[in-house]
Amino acid sequence: MRVSARTKTVFRLFCFLILAFLYAPIVTNFVFSLNSDRFPTIPLGEATLDWYRLAFTDDLLRSALLNSVIVGAIVAPVSTLMGFAAAYADYRFNFFGKRLILVLALLPPLIPLVVIGLAMLAYLSRIGLSGTLPAIVASHIVLTSPFAMAIIRLRFAQIDGDLEFAAQNLGASNWRAFREVIIPSTKTAVLAAALLCLAVSFDEYAVTWFVGGLNETTSVRILSFLQSAVSPRINAIGSVTFIVSITLILGAQFLLLRKGTGGIGNAR
Amino acid sequence: MLVEPEKNINHQIALHHAHQDETKMQPLISMKGIHKSYGRAVAIERLDLDIDEGKFIAIMGPSGCGKSTLLRCLAGMEELSGGKILRQGIEINDLPIWERDTPLVWQSLALFPFLTVLENVEFGLRMKGVGRGERRERALRWLKRLQLEDHSDRGVDQLSGGQRQRVALARCLVTEPSVLLLDEPLSALDAHLSVRMQGELKRLQRELGITFIYVTHSHSEAFSMADQVVIMNEGRIEQIGAPEEIYLRPATPFVARFLGGSNIIECKARERNSGEIILESTDGSFKCDSKVTSNVSCGDKVNLIIRADQISVTAEAGWAENEIYCQVIGEEFVGALVNLRLETSSGTPIIVQLQQRDMEALDIEIGGGVNASWHPEDGHIINA
Amino acid sequence: MKSFVTRRLYSHAFYGVTWTSPLPIWLAFFFIGPVVLLLWLSFWDVRNFVLTPDFQLDNWIRILSADYFWTAYFRTSAFAAAAAVTVSLLALPCSLAISFFFAMRGRLILLSLFIVPFFTSYLVRVYSWQIYLTENGIISRLAEFFGVNAASLLNTPFALLVGFVTLTFPLVIVTQSISMLSIDRTLIDAAYNLGCGPARILTAAVLPAAKPGIVIGALFAFIFSFGDFVTPTYLGGGKFTTLSILIADTVKSGQQWPRAAVIAIMMIATLLSVALVSIAIAYRRK
Repeated sequence: MRVSARTKTVFRLFCFLILAFLYAPIVTNFVFSLNSDRFPTIPLGEATLDWYRLAFTDDLLRSALLNSVIVGAIVAPVSTLMGFAAAYADYRFNFFGKRLILVLALLPPLIPLVVIGLAMLAYLSRIGLSGTLPAIVASHIVLTSPFAMAIIRLRFAQIDGDLEFAAQNLGASNWRAFREVIIPSTKTAVLAAALLCLAVSFDEYAVTWFVGGLNETTSVRILSFLQSAVSPRINAIGSVTFIVSITLILGAQFLLLRKGTGGIGNAR
Repeated sequence: MLVEPEKNINHQIALHHAHQDETKMQPLISMKGIHKSYGRAVAIERLDLDIDEGKFIAIMGPSGCGKSTLLRCLAGMEELSGGKILRQGIEINDLPIWERDTPLVWQSLALFPFLTVLENVEFGLRMKGVGRGERRERALRWLKRLQLEDHSDRGVDQLSGGQRQRVALARCLVTEPSVLLLDEPLSALDAHLSVRMQGELKRLQRELGITFIYVTHSHSEAFSMADQVVIMNEGRIEQIGAPEEIYLRPATPFVARFLGGSNIIECKARERNSGEIILESTDGSFKCDSKVTSNVSCGDKVNLIIRADQISVTAEAGWAENEIYCQVIGEEFVGALVNLRLETSSGTPIIVQLQQRDMEALDIEIGGGVNASWHPEDGHIINA
Repeated sequence: MKSFVTRRLYSHAFYGVTWTSPLPIWLAFFFIGPVVLLLWLSFWDVRNFVLTPDFQLDNWIRILSADYFWTAYFRTSAFAAAAAVTVSLLALPCSLAISFFFAMRGRLILLSLFIVPFFTSYLVRVYSWQIYLTENGIISRLAEFFGVNAASLLNTPFALLVGFVTLTFPLVIVTQSISMLSIDRTLIDAAYNLGCGPARILTAAVLPAAKPGIVIGALFAFIFSFGDFVTPTYLGGGKFTTLSILIADTVKSGQQWPRAAVIAIMMIATLLSVALVSIAIAYRRK
């Protein structure tokens, strides 16, 4: 589109303003996590690591972190696998009810988290799972598999539909062709999806708060702090979670955008 | 890994041959009553086709005629709605794709982008369980044969269109199949490269002596390479024959129109004398040599087919026995030839192909009138 | 030969089933199941602090006739709608820039930058916004610096909007950009050749073609803002009770899950209707 250079600059400037808006809370969070003042005010106090020390010597937080890791370690592979299965089934097969299943698979993100939280709390209570780690795992899988499926499905859309049949035509059975063709073609996207599921699971607070009971993940611990004990400790924990999430997401983006393997902005 | 005896198609064929004397006379592939439908849409309608060993068969037709579907049924990628496919006497239609041994050169080529050229070519051998050393040697031999040995460790995206074609070919042929399927493999190449590849394919087929089944929508490809041409339309076979035969004697109006360069005049057979048949049409009456006609009785509705190059154009009348006065509608120059488009007074279009120099000798204007004429032994009758 | 063929059919079917079934089965157990239970739950009764299965309309009548419910309902809807409009408007110049004013490389980098915050902790970011918006907060101090006396911006509708924009912006910009990026460039070139200026091209060609992306983006913003309880709680200071807060409070304070279920079902119903209408609008061909 041809517009004047001035117009372009104005638009670009606007983009950076919005970016500043989006990153502002993240930046100040880091700043105040190192600030010695008990309350975050300007002017700043001295630089200190005390809040970090305080936060990470807390037993509840450490067990929350451990829970986050355990949950993530189970949710990421399982959710990615299920999302993959659904994406592959959509790409490869045509069957009665396919569209319905796809709509169903994409439904969870559209329901408010409190509603899912309440529903899962009631349901898991009935089957005696409420307040346990498996409950958190089960809920997270429901919440993250749509992401995995969407990303992997995007990747499948780029794979030549003849490739699998070409492998079969040359002697590979269904499973063999899958191993020889589909796995090499999708492994990058699968890894990226796993990282994404990990990131979403790590930051999930709402449903986890409902179903986890006394089992808290890091995000739920933060929620507890917000409800009761507000202090720069939150900033400290927040900074760590930001670093974790940003690393995961940058990793996923890097995987998705190189060599044209899936992802947005590709081939345009 | 133990392979069950039943699963090995070649083993089965060997067993079968042990009980046969005249396997040589049997067609390699025999398709009987093939029927393929998707819901209510019929793609192939009760089709019968025999394919002989060692021949180059071209299956040709307009888009949607079912030719690609037929190929896919043969390879096992589509399930038959009816009929059966026999290979050297053994039914193969219940076999899955990977047991049919019908390597296919895909229209999109379908080369594996995550493997090198060599690995692509080795693929079929690897699936068959051939050892690493032997695989590599056989693959390299084929790459050499197709002048690709320098590219063996490259990725397939680094090759040109023609080179990738040859990789696709090598990949199929390295397993030494008895039949090779090709689905419009040259359609993505530019004309020059395509013509060159056609020559290479024909030469390869002759050298190897295996059966090539080639699907295309292009006349020139089919006619230049094939021993036998099958013309399909709307799921049915219109005509089978050698290229010259189809060209000289199209069997149905569809074939005549599809190949182009033919004129079709709807007539009625009026008389039949010894040696000739008199036809009656809105453009006049014509004589036809009865040698070139089959069983036509008086009163039958027929189509008279005259090729564009069999018609002469003159200013005066009386040049040949069959003659129509036409108006010149247009002319197209195609190199050394000229296509002249005429129209009779009753609106029948006539197309005439002349040499450029003959055009110059005549003094023709668009809108002017000429005589189009042909001899009774040219032209050819088919039932309507 | 026959059993051989049947065995083969089974192995084909097995292959298909292996891939087609896991996710639907899981969702049936852990998504549909809970939601169906929720629906049933809304008809239950709480007798002597014990949740008892039942089929009675008491909860529904009580909630649907309660003023506090409808106030919260309209408040939530109004805020969600305002958020959707605000975010869509703010995102529009950005997605236009991304699609048209940046080269491929800049485009990818920019989109990546926009996406990263979406996957960081929303809770912590909202908490950080408190610091900006509170009395003696960053914005307040900045305003003082310029001689303007600014009261606390916290616990105002503005603060809520800030929170919702933070939540939904990345999603909206991606949705809008996808739509815009898939516009046929030759159409735009053709319009230029016909002498249209940029503004005209924008309104006549670009925006209509990007309508699906814009509408769906607004829909997402509405849905997420409608269901969020973090921003109304921590940036609203309890002044703005939304439906999600109602549910959370109802669950926290006692066993009145059935009443919470009623509110939840109302939320689902509202969102589904809005979604259906939006999709119809987005993809309607004139």
